[in-house]
Amino acid sequence: MNHPSGVPSLRRRGGVAVPWLALAATAIGCASVSPERGHDQVAALVAQRTGHKTRWEKGPPDAEAIARWVRMLTAAGLTGDRVVEIALVNNPDLQSVYEELGVSQADMVQAGLLRNPSFGADLGFRVRSGENSELRLSLVQDFLDLFVLPQRKQIAQQQFEADTLRVADRALETATEAEKDFLAAQAAVELVAFRRTVVAASEGAFALAQRQFDAGNISELERATQQPTHEQAALDLARDEMSLLEARERINRRLGLWGETTSWAFADTLPPLPAVDPAVDQLEMFALQRRLDVAVARRQAALLAKAVELARSTRLLGRLEVGVDAHQDPNGPRVIGPNLVIELPLFDQRQAVIARLEAQKRQQERHLLAVSIDARSEVRVASARVRVSRQAVLRYRDGLLPLRQTVLQQTLLQYNGMLAGLYQLLAAKQGEADARRGYLESLRDYWSARADLARAVGGSLPEGGHHHEP
Amino acid sequence: MSHERKSITAATDGETCVLSRRALLLAGATGGALAAASPARGAAATIAASPERAPSPGRAVRDYLPVTVPNGAKLPWKLVGGVKVFHLVAGEVDHEMAPGLKALCWGYNGRVHGPLIEAVEGDRVRIYVTNRLPAATTVHWHAILTPNGMDGVGGLTQKAIQPGETFKYEFTLRQWGTAMYHSHHDEMTQIGLGMTGLFVIHPRRPQRPVDRDFAIMLHEWRIDPGARRPNPNEMVEFNVLTMNARAFPGTAPLVVRTGQRVRVRIGNLSPMDHHPIHLHGHQFRVTETDGGPVAESAQWPETTVLVPTGSTRTIEFVAHEPGDWAMHCHMTHHVMNQMGHGTPNLIGVQPGNLDQQMEAVVPGYMTMGQTGMADMADMGMAVPANSIPMLGGKGKHDVITMGGMFTVLKVRDGIRGYGDPGWYDGPAGDTARAAVADDLRRDGIDAERPAPVEDQSPTG
Ligand SMILES: [Cu+2]
Repeated sequence: MNHPSGVPSLRRRGGVAVPWLALAATAIGCASVSPERGHDQVAALVAQRTGHKTRWEKGPPDAEAIARWVRMLTAAGLTGDRVVEIALVNNPDLQSVYEELGVSQADMVQAGLLRNPSFGADLGFRVRSGENSELRLSLVQDFLDLFVLPQRKQIAQQQFEADTLRVADRALETATEAEKDFLAAQAAVELVAFRRTVVAASEGAFALAQRQFDAGNISELERATQQPTHEQAALDLARDEMSLLEARERINRRLGLWGETTSWAFADTLPPLPAVDPAVDQLEMFALQRRLDVAVARRQAALLAKAVELARSTRLLGRLEVGVDAHQDPNGPRVIGPNLVIELPLFDQRQAVIARLEAQKRQQERHLLAVSIDARSEVRVASARVRVSRQAVLRYRDGLLPLRQTVLQQTLLQYNGMLAGLYQLLAAKQGEADARRGYLESLRDYWSARADLARAVGGSLPEGGHHHEP
Repeated sequence: MSHERKSITAATDGETCVLSRRALLLAGATGGALAAASPARGAAATIAASPERAPSPGRAVRDYLPVTVPNGAKLPWKLVGGVKVFHLVAGEVDHEMAPGLKALCWGYNGRVHGPLIEAVEGDRVRIYVTNRLPAATTVHWHAILTPNGMDGVGGLTQKAIQPGETFKYEFTLRQWGTAMYHSHHDEMTQIGLGMTGLFVIHPRRPQRPVDRDFAIMLHEWRIDPGARRPNPNEMVEFNVLTMNARAFPGTAPLVVRTGQRVRVRIGNLSPMDHHPIHLHGHQFRVTETDGGPVAESAQWPETTVLVPTGSTRTIEFVAHEPGDWAMHCHMTHHVMNQMGHGTPNLIGVQPGNLDQQMEAVVPGYMTMGQTGMADMADMGMAVPANSIPMLGGKGKHDVITMGGMFTVLKVRDGIRGYGDPGWYDGPAGDTARAAVADDLRRDGIDAERPAPVEDQSPTG
């Protein structure tokens, strides 16, 4: 007899196992994976800090819909806001980071599941004829699992939350990087325009020198002395044009653009200097409260503390297995009965595991400290950069640039009176273009510093920092 | 010189007086001081025979024909115990070099150059000098024979006059002729800023009576276009050249009646340059230097007189030819106003599309100077504040493409006063004009044919 009934009999007597499973089910709560879980929180965190949507609120969005939307935005021309919106939904690295939430959620669900019961079967073959062979079946569940499950679940939950924060932080970082890339590209466009002016000016000088030479008014030496300026200007322009191309490509990569969407245009220029800088009082505390990397580190530390606690509280609990055995005695009737295995924690009292967890906990606490110190320092550096770059912008805007413009105007007046020549006029023009370049670079640095400061304080700057000059 | 002339007409500020020939002859015969009587009464002169007895102070009109200073001024005096008392006040002056160009100069009594001092040989003069400058100063009486202590050389013959102080100079004029005065303290700065003036001493007995007696002080300045202060540190590139501290078109004309005998006294205290002054339409003789009269046998006819810096030259001629006659320094850069000497040479340059090319860089750009500077007189373009075009003044026929040390001698028949009579309206036949076809045909002139020339190079 093959005793296949053993299994059916177990199935029939499944009534015995059902209460365990019911108990387990109660302990683990929702044990299923949902696509929007975590993403809605990331979206909320990002929206709260940047005002932009991730469009992953309900999990991975429809690729075709996203592609359509990106095509629409790029066709309309890019602005700082659009760049951030596209980056949040279409940055390839960020998309893969978003998917980490699925992984993490799976881990969390996994942690909430009871270890599956083990099913065993022993089969004894008769050695001599006349003896019956024997089949012994057992179903064993590790009940320690049941006791630690709520705590384990809590840890897993925290881990998932930490992962959510980490993903949101990466989203914010991507948004900041995209914003800065765009500022750099906006500046690059205008820098190229100014460089073209310089090239045009040097072309004028080049042409004049040639015409003077043709008329017999200057020597070959003078002509050759005057003309290299033009060649140099052309080389500088080529370099600036390459920089612009690279700046555009950085945006393309950041926004996950390829094909025809890469031919986007700039829909706005670098904004002028705002009237006020963000309030810097209490900015460090503000940053510690809002920064997601700090929150992640804090949560990880708490989580490890909990893990240590859990390990300690269960150090004397060995493996506790409770089960049912069903077997048929060779000579007797079928018997079914409970089965208990208790591990005696004589040697392994989880000292190693606890020590390891404690070390990890301390490590995480140090890490939290380091992250916090870094955060405070980053805030100080970024706010200093905002302040210093504002001074630079003001110096250019109210000092150097007007002076260069006056030089240009006055040189033009002198040119009109033939008191100054074209070369002098062009040199004045070049001086003015250089001052414009410097102004633009300082303005770009200012906005970039503001973006860094926003990032350093956890996403957006405190109220009062955003109204601009008329 | 015409001592046979019946009368000499002198004018100053429109007031016309007549010196009788008799009075002049008397003065010439007695060779001393004239009595303090009006020429109209024809009073006899009294001779100061002994050196102890000073001659009575000379009087304008009675004793001399007053000098005319175009654009300038004269220093008034009063008589105190037989001494002519003058008061010079050194100070800063906001002076107009020409319409559109003002400069903060240093001068005397609110004028640049200082007002002309006019006196007569034998006069005792006492000249107070008040210093209202921020710097110390002195006054040197250039080419005047004074006691050494009155020579006005800071440090050498006197203490410098400190700001706020008033010094007194006093001496008797032992000579006659055209002298000057100027600061002799930090000369480079103070002369450079304009602290000079003319000092005319008439002879006690009129020597070579004239009808018109003009005095002109030459000077040169560096005033950057748009600046308001002459730069006294300049050594070479002067850009404002003046007659009586005015640059053409700011210079007043010298107005005379046809046939008048004219004297022009020219002094030069330019920091660095001598000026060859050229007169059109007349031949003149240099009759005096700051060292005194030139013997008649040593005078030769000229049309250009070089006036070295630190010197005066007096020229005389009869204005026989009516018209508007140019009188100017013949150094071509001295008949230009503020200009850029470092501008590129664009003569003959073909601008081609340069203007369009430059439009993007400098809107409204226009290439200028391919045919020279004459167009600069009236470009109608914005130029730096407080600057004047490098050349150009209105003329009867066109723009006068001159600037700087340029003025006009206006000779007219039968005029009454000496105000500017306007432009000369000469006979049409005596005015250059475009040749007409009949002329060309008659004289066989073909403007299209190669220009005729007789080559003087040796031909095998
Ligand atoms: Cu000259």
